[in-house]
Amino acid sequence: MTNTLRVFKVRTIVFAVTMLLVGVTSQSIQAQFLHPKIKSKETTIRKIVILPAKVNVVRDSMKGPEGMAAESDELSVRVEEKIAEVLSKQKNVATLPRSSDATNADSQKYDLADFQTKFDALLPTIAKKRSDVKKGRFSMGDEVLNLNLSKSADAIVFIRGEGKKLTSGKTAFRMLVGGTPAYLKLQIGMVDTRSGEVLLYTDTMLVGDPTTAMDRLRKSLEKGFKKLPSAAAQ
Amino acid sequence: MFTIKFRNLVVAVVFQSVLFTTLLPVANAQKPKAPVEATPPPVNEEFKFGEVDLEVLEQSDLLDRRLERDGLILANEPASVYLNHIAHLLIPKDLAIERVTWKFQAVRDPQPNAFALPNGSIYVTTGLLSLVDNESQLAAILAHELTHVMRRHTYQHNRSNRKKFLTMNIMSAIGAYAPIGAVGAVIMVVTTVAPFIMVATMYGYSRELEREADLKGIDMMISAEYPPEEMIQVMKLLDKDIEGENIRLFYNDHPSLDERIRYLSGYLGARADKVTPQMALNRERAAYFRNMEPVMRSNLQLSINSGRYRSAVYLAQRLVDFHPDSENLFWLAEAHRTLGPRAPQLTEKQLTNSAKKDAAKKREKRTLEEEEQELLATPDGKENWQQNQQKAEELYLRALAAENPIPLAHRGLGSLYEKLSRANDALTQYQKYLELSPSAPDRERIQRRIDSLRRS
Repeated sequence: MTNTLRVFKVRTIVFAVTMLLVGVTSQSIQAQFLHPKIKSKETTIRKIVILPAKVNVVRDSMKGPEGMAAESDELSVRVEEKIAEVLSKQKNVATLPRSSDATNADSQKYDLADFQTKFDALLPTIAKKRSDVKKGRFSMGDEVLNLNLSKSADAIVFIRGEGKKLTSGKTAFRMLVGGTPAYLKLQIGMVDTRSGEVLLYTDTMLVGDPTTAMDRLRKSLEKGFKKLPSAAAQ
Repeated sequence: MFTIKFRNLVVAVVFQSVLFTTLLPVANAQKPKAPVEATPPPVNEEFKFGEVDLEVLEQSDLLDRRLERDGLILANEPASVYLNHIAHLLIPKDLAIERVTWKFQAVRDPQPNAFALPNGSIYVTTGLLSLVDNESQLAAILAHELTHVMRRHTYQHNRSNRKKFLTMNIMSAIGAYAPIGAVGAVIMVVTTVAPFIMVATMYGYSRELEREADLKGIDMMISAEYPPEEMIQVMKLLDKDIEGENIRLFYNDHPSLDERIRYLSGYLGARADKVTPQMALNRERAAYFRNMEPVMRSNLQLSINSGRYRSAVYLAQRLVDFHPDSENLFWLAEAHRTLGPRAPQLTEKQLTNSAKKDAAKKREKRTLEEEEQELLATPDGKENWQQNQQKAEELYLRALAAENPIPLAHRGLGSLYEKLSRANDALTQYQKYLELSPSAPDRERIQRRIDSLRRS
């Protein structure tokens, strides 16, 4: 009996310490890398075009993960809006509309889809060695010009995200047994509208319900873009 | 001491009961109650919708909309009509299935694949549509996917997985609170191993459903007068592995292609010999290529965009063989130009499982441009590059000499000459392209290249 009690005490302490650490330090984790052109201020990002975000969240229950397609779509739009808001308020960066006309034309839709796919293909290589963004190693090529975006846009923003929301049953289970908490992880890339070079890469992660933790999302994005020079300062 | 030992014994007994009442029935459920060869009816009529199934259905409808919205569906009316026509020959007449609305579409993806959603949406990638040889092979793919929908495989798989996930969670809870001592150690070992067994049964069940879809697919093909052995031909085509990406993993949700070919051949037996005149017609290659040529061309661009250069060369060559002296020459030229320093085919050594695993790791570490630079530094890479560029130039020129030449061939030649540092030739070709296509969507990009060449 003594043994069991001791084990229980140790587990309780470990759990409490973990929770404390999560609460204090892991509200959001982020890393950001800037292209030398941005760092040297040779290029300034003043205006951006945000491409449709692809954020997927799942509901993790005791019976496994369940799809949340509708919530994911809503969250994708909210993440786009939050990024535009943070960049505007903190960095004086204006967000331009994606396309003024012909949004329904198949060729436009295909070009956009192909470019999103191209970013998806490049993303694992960037994520493997994120610090190489600082060396200007990654580019999506001058095909970026085929998107025919506004001439005044300096960068295109790509957003990818994945998250997990826990059901109440799974939350209770996690408290008793352990496991990963609810979270939202975002990977954001900014690409030069003329050369296709990756100008910025940042990833942020927040712990909490991804569908409701909007304030935490904003704070995490503010930290995620901290190193990006403000457009007003130049 | 006695109390602890007695308590441990009780825990062990309770644990054993939990193990036998949860894990074993689930594992036993994987054993097919009757051999698949007994062929179940085409539609699972015993199936009753539950709340969980309706959620899956809702997610499927949302996925349909997402694929459309994200520009992943190919808007090609003749291709959709063709797919629908074949599928409706396969579906038993007057068949109505609860909560199924049939929809057949091509997905803009160069990787050969097909999938079915439980709501009746069936998608075939442009990569697979380009790879198959005739209508019967496409019918084989559709028959397989139709079976998944008609036999309600997605719902069954989801229900089965939910039970297994619950079992795994119960196991980990027991493991987390295992007492110290020998009994605790045993519990720990069992609870650690159990999830692996569960995952194995998940994949095993998935493979069983795939096998059922293959065999029922054969029955559907015969009923619709499609030669059933074409299903085996599809497996052989998929086994070609042009890009060296079919890696054998520890867990697989589909049976291996070898195994599929084996059991399909066994199932077919003597039935493969009975060929009706209609079956012979459905094997005709030219008819299929006529219907799919535009889809195949659009797939070539997708293959090049995604770095599937070897597939692009292979598929473009098939198009040129079918319809020479046409736009297809331009596509073969593009494929050779972008193939760069790579060889058109992988060697046997490159096609071993370990070599494919290494290549996959390398692909994650370096960009396509870096791969190209590395290859160019080798003698083989230099030779391949030279051969591919020569071949591309010759094909571009042939494309321009053909009837109704497409302006894109000038752009291709421009890119080729630019890379060969023949600035003046590149400039001329780019200018010709813009003259002939004044409203080209890539006008700005080409104009910038012209400006840059002039500056240099």
